[in-house]
Amino acid sequence: MIRVGAIADVHFSTNSAGRLASYWSEMHNSVDIFVIAGDLTTHGDPEEVKILANELEVVQVPIIAILGNHDYDSDKEAQVRIELERKGVIVLEGESITIPMHGRTLGISGTKGFGGGFAGACASAFGEPEMKAFIHHTEQLSAKLQSELSALKTDYKLALTHYAPVKDTVVGERLEIYPFLGSYLLAEAIDSAGADLVIHGHAHHGTEKGVTARDIPVRNVALPLLRRAYAIYNLDKFKDQNLISIEEAFHATPDTNKSADLTEVA
Amino acid sequence: MNTDYQYVVGHLQTALATDPRVNMLDVKVMVTNNKIHLTGHVSSENRRLAVEEVVMELFPNLEIKNELTMFEVAQPAKPEVISD
Repeated sequence: MIRVGAIADVHFSTNSAGRLASYWSEMHNSVDIFVIAGDLTTHGDPEEVKILANELEVVQVPIIAILGNHDYDSDKEAQVRIELERKGVIVLEGESITIPMHGRTLGISGTKGFGGGFAGACASAFGEPEMKAFIHHTEQLSAKLQSELSALKTDYKLALTHYAPVKDTVVGERLEIYPFLGSYLLAEAIDSAGADLVIHGHAHHGTEKGVTARDIPVRNVALPLLRRAYAIYNLDKFKDQNLISIEEAFHATPDTNKSADLTEVA
Repeated sequence: MNTDYQYVVGHLQTALATDPRVNMLDVKVMVTNNKIHLTGHVSSENRRLAVEEVVMELFPNLEIKNELTMFEVAQPAKPEVISD
């Protein structure tokens, strides 16, 4: 079994220090890995991410993150990423990582994703160049996600996006903004490649639980929706019996080289 | 600035999304009888006041009813087992 802690949309600003550290400091007792599905900051200011990175210092398990739309707002997403990586957070965008854990392997592919809408009410790459560019961005990120997920040869596969891949988990939001909350292209990519779990954020007023067309569980972990410091999902399709403790399992700081696998920790 | 209902709402939502003091996309804005109602949830009192400040700067002559509430963060719930 691999225990995944997950959150999104923490939207840290320069006055957010201390907001979540007390919850996160005990996380290693219940999770093996912590994933953050975008919108780490309010408007992508590197000063904001420094506050969050300091907050994350209390987390004693590997941290994997993707960026969200807010993290791009200041056009300093590269710097945001650097600040996170400086603190040992592994940041994915069209990239994957394999983490050996408890005798199993967990593969995570991450992308911000983008909008366009869902079956029956979605935008198409038609008309003006701006409209085509909008949809092509989603298509490109979805295609990359599919190839990354397909390449994973791990016991468990987790897809990490910021935008929603299915309509189920945006229900609760205003219908008019669905096309800006996610795209079915992400779900199609995930269904084609296969995954055990999809985690996303972005839809603050959505719904936690959904499923893709091929029954892959989708979980919206936006903080304003969950109102919990993180959610916990225990991946256990092998019904593992002899789970070793996390204290035994995790001793090393994660390797920040995104292309390299983490050190075997179990 | 045009104070017709739909334009007030549109300008305010744009301002709340783009002003770096706030950057919020999900504040609900309603206008009735020259009064701006702000509803939704924010993560801190600072953010709640910042929203009001942005609105006041844009429409100083309209009354503001700030009904934004802060949400409390709780401990994580029981784990969900994903086994299929």
